[in-house]
Amino acid sequence: MAELIDYLQFVLAPQALNGLSLGVAVVLMALGLTIIFGLLDVINMAHGEFYAMGAFLALTLAGLGVGFWALLVLVPLLMLPIGWLAERWLIARVFHSRDRHILTLLLTFGLGMILEDLLKLVYGPNTQRPENPIEGGTEILGMFLPNYRLFLIGFGLALIAAVWLVVFRTGLGAMVRAAAFDKDMASSLGVPVRRVYAGTFAFGVALAGLSGVLLAPIYSVFPTMGRDFILMAFTVVIVGGMGSIQGAVVAGLLLTQVQALSSLYISPVWSDPLVFGIMVLVLMVRPQGLFGRLGHA
Amino acid sequence: MPEATTLRTLSDPGHAGPASRLSRLAPVHWLALIFLVAALGFAAVAWATGNGFYLRLATEALIFAGLAMSVDLLLGYTGLLSLGQALYFGLGAYVSALVLRDVAPSFWLAMAAALLAGGMAGLIGGVIANRVKGVYFALITFGLAQVAAKTVYNTRALGASDGLIGIPQIRVGFGPVSLDTADPLSFFLLVLGLTVTAYAGLSYLMDAPFGRTLAAIRANEKRVPFLGFNAWRYKLAVYVLAACVAALAGALYPMLRGFVSPELMFFETSGNAVITVIVGGVGTLVGPVMGSLLLTALRSVVGSWTEHHLIVVGVIFMLSVIFLRKGLVGALLARLSRRGEAGRTAP
Repeated sequence: MAELIDYLQFVLAPQALNGLSLGVAVVLMALGLTIIFGLLDVINMAHGEFYAMGAFLALTLAGLGVGFWALLVLVPLLMLPIGWLAERWLIARVFHSRDRHILTLLLTFGLGMILEDLLKLVYGPNTQRPENPIEGGTEILGMFLPNYRLFLIGFGLALIAAVWLVVFRTGLGAMVRAAAFDKDMASSLGVPVRRVYAGTFAFGVALAGLSGVLLAPIYSVFPTMGRDFILMAFTVVIVGGMGSIQGAVVAGLLLTQVQALSSLYISPVWSDPLVFGIMVLVLMVRPQGLFGRLGHA
Repeated sequence: MPEATTLRTLSDPGHAGPASRLSRLAPVHWLALIFLVAALGFAAVAWATGNGFYLRLATEALIFAGLAMSVDLLLGYTGLLSLGQALYFGLGAYVSALVLRDVAPSFWLAMAAALLAGGMAGLIGGVIANRVKGVYFALITFGLAQVAAKTVYNTRALGASDGLIGIPQIRVGFGPVSLDTADPLSFFLLVLGLTVTAYAGLSYLMDAPFGRTLAAIRANEKRVPFLGFNAWRYKLAVYVLAACVAALAGALYPMLRGFVSPELMFFETSGNAVITVIVGGVGTLVGPVMGSLLLTALRSVVGSWTEHHLIVVGVIFMLSVIFLRKGLVGALLARLSRRGEAGRTAP
């Protein structure tokens, strides 16, 4: 019995908590992706690069003496116009064509490629490690947990709650949901649909940038940092249901636990194929995912 | 501009009658012929100057052109975007490498094994992927390739992250004559011959009723059953066909490079194939071949003065998506036909 408690306390629980802090971060990424898909029908392949951009922006601004708390506000604000322009200049250009699903996917794929190489050009290909803004750790039930991870879990959950509130409990959110449900009807009722589109895209991009700021102290910063992370976020969005906010949260927390625990019981190298296998299975059996789409639920 | 905003097939006779069908088809094949002559000219110059490096580079471009053609079969002719075509390319490469290294150094055996493996895997992948449509199809093909790539990456018996090395050079027999894969010129000519054969065969097939049904699926899948066709069967068939083409192209890779690595299955390979098709010209088959040669040359030239060629390729790719919906070949053909019309109307 004592062995079992030890196992729970020193092996399983820390792994699950690590999974939870990763899960919160993945959910933040997935939220941006899923809102953009839910409203604009766009699979944003450049999302991972926007995440990397956020991390690099944070690194640069921190080098200029901006504090961590200010970064949490400043970086998303700086990412907003970038997202706005990306939507106006690229997505809107092909938005009314018959193949817009494919064309927007291809455009954001190209954009991601360029952004990644630009980051390499400006910052070099090497890995950089920002300082940990919240040092130390706390002992909970005999487990030692780094304070930063605890902060990440708390802050991330608060942020997810805030996004949920904005989308489902404000007039702005109602406009977004109305535009997602029927853009023509929303437009005729006075919703500025084009601005809602650009604004929502910018909002998703800002969320990705914010995830970059939050995760930089844990996973370090390099130009291709978005790649592995984005795959997980895509899987989460697909499993949860593309365009579903609840789905992104549930699937994000669930899948990161699968990843964390499978790396304990099977092997860390097999957790990726396992998670992608789940993605393929869900696409086969229930392509709409676990939950309904934004504005349609 | 509804015309420019759809991914149209250039060799698509569509509503045209038989006479105009010939005149509309011809330019694409003329382009292919011009390309073939240029390729032979290039081979002659490279051989005369003893430049094996460029011959090998061109051979690699042709091999990846095979992969791009398979993406074009799905995207250009059927309207299905595959983000995981590298799965079959890599499969063909690994099967060919294993056959050449462990079974027998036989070209035909390696190709046959790759074809068989590609067909089987394509059948399984096709049944899975064709359960869904649109973006979900793109994502499921992407996911399948990721599972396969990560599995190969983790499998010790397949060399894990290092891949398989030491694939022997072989002699390829055609009855009484044979050629050596170690010789850059003869291997280039062999791959060129295979590419031309694939182009001719696939073009023929795309003009046959099979290809016309695919075009109908691309235009409006919901109406295809009303004409008495089973769209699902055709989509599965073209998926298997594309997998076979990709696997055959992949089978040539270890003969050229002497090794295979899991990178061949990664998303970058699949993504590059899509870029090649878009830049070259969707739905033309010759476009992917030209796109592959152009992009390989570009990477080699730009890569010689900066390692940041992705920016250049990315910009070209995005410009093609926005402005050149029919790619390089489409732009060339538009110019050709404009000149043709000008010639006809001139007294």
